[in-house]
Amino acid sequence: MVEPTGARGARADAAAAGSTEAKADLGQGPPDRRRAATMQTRGLNLFYGDFHAVQDVDITIEPHKVTALIGSSGCGKTTFLRSLNRMHELTAGARVEGEVTLDGQDVYAGGIDPVKVRRMVGMVFQSPNPFPTMSIHENVAAGLSLGSGRVGKAEKDEVVERSLRGAHLWNEVKDRLDRPGSSLSGGQQQRLCIARAIAVEPEVLLMDEPCSALDPVATLAIEDLIGELKSRYTIVIVTHNMQQAARASDITAFFNLEETGRPGRLVEVGATETIFTSPTVQATEDYVSGRFG
Amino acid sequence: MPEIRVEYQEELEALEASALGGLDLVSAALSRTLEAVEHQDVELAQQVIADDDRIDGRYLEVHQALIALLATQAPVATDLRLISALLHVLKNVERMGDQCVNVCKLIPLTGNEPPADEEMVNLILTMGRQTRALIAQSKRSFEGRNVEMAQDLVRQDDAVDNLNRECFGLALELGDDPDKREWAMTMLLAARAIERIGDNAVDIGEQVAFVVSGLFREFEDASHPEP
Repeated sequence: MVEPTGARGARADAAAAGSTEAKADLGQGPPDRRRAATMQTRGLNLFYGDFHAVQDVDITIEPHKVTALIGSSGCGKTTFLRSLNRMHELTAGARVEGEVTLDGQDVYAGGIDPVKVRRMVGMVFQSPNPFPTMSIHENVAAGLSLGSGRVGKAEKDEVVERSLRGAHLWNEVKDRLDRPGSSLSGGQQQRLCIARAIAVEPEVLLMDEPCSALDPVATLAIEDLIGELKSRYTIVIVTHNMQQAARASDITAFFNLEETGRPGRLVEVGATETIFTSPTVQATEDYVSGRFG
Repeated sequence: MPEIRVEYQEELEALEASALGGLDLVSAALSRTLEAVEHQDVELAQQVIADDDRIDGRYLEVHQALIALLATQAPVATDLRLISALLHVLKNVERMGDQCVNVCKLIPLTGNEPPADEEMVNLILTMGRQTRALIAQSKRSFEGRNVEMAQDLVRQDDAVDNLNRECFGLALELGDDPDKREWAMTMLLAARAIERIGDNAVDIGEQVAFVVSGLFREFEDASHPEP
């Protein structure tokens, strides 16, 4: 199926931070809260105008697992990640072919609201990006507040505390919730962004190099957190740090492109342990062994 | 794509050569051990025992360098399997060296002019030479990542095992002379030590299969032999 969708992402920024209205699914009844969602792509091709960025990706992203996307720069892994919650289409000229499903439902089907997709498939970005003028509390509650405003203060406080606890940040900030989010350290800011993402209770969390701007200790803290979050969410993480993929993920997917200008492809996907001990494809072996990069 | 991590690759190759070079040291030690057995050469036996420090030194040196590589380079995939296998090979090399020492320690015990039985000595020498061929083949199969050649070690080791059993049978038939029986008992210990060296060579072959396939399995399971 071809789905040029560039115009649909107007509300995306707010939605990426987490939106608001009462919890909604993609139109087929309430989601099952006892488990995270499965995402699947079939024949997925991604374009920027004439440029074919990602070609023919078939992958099943399993619930309650951390799936790491690895590969050299320009291989399309971030583009692929952004297609999972319809953020790819926010780039002018961007285009999607093929199918992306969330628990079997095509997220690019006509009539599906991309804002709802992005609420169910949250995103944490490379650089911690708390809203600079908002307090810690407001940052976490941003996704709730951006909507219809039906969330009461008590409920909001509860969600903020639960989310900050979930992001391992509560004990460090509980006495200064009214301080600006930007007053926190880099690692704390990233955990704040994770708290903001989980405040709206997504099914899936996408993380685009979430530790690349952090020091090693803050990085390990985020990795521990990722390990805990998978009990509630499906997690997909893009990382350039091979050891991070090895440490933090259950499944590793290797993307590669044959040469510059050619589209990136999914070369091999498998249990992380297998990818890092006995990969099947020579290109995967060469990449994880650091023979090219 | 430019080739990267060249130094690391070179270091890993050098460490493999060094670990497998340990098999040459063992092979030389076994040759001298056999010579000491053949000629009842106590001096040569002492030299083999003293020289085992070189094999142990090789073990320590390469082992430490491999651990350093693990700590600093985070090897994965084939490199990781290779390093894991080399750590095993080093242990086998060290054990083979010790078995040569075990044989050499027996030589003074048999006295200056032991009541040696020529047939039994020849059996042990034959075992030793076949075991030396096993060592060389284990090294070649590792260098060439040749699983077929590695698996063939089992067949050759079976021949060594049979010779060991022949030694046992021979010892039983050597008669009632207490000195001769004592000598034969001692030689059985020597034969057993050499037979164990062959087993170590087969273990190295199993590591070859692991490096190539990523799956470890014993070529022969001594505790659950096939019917």
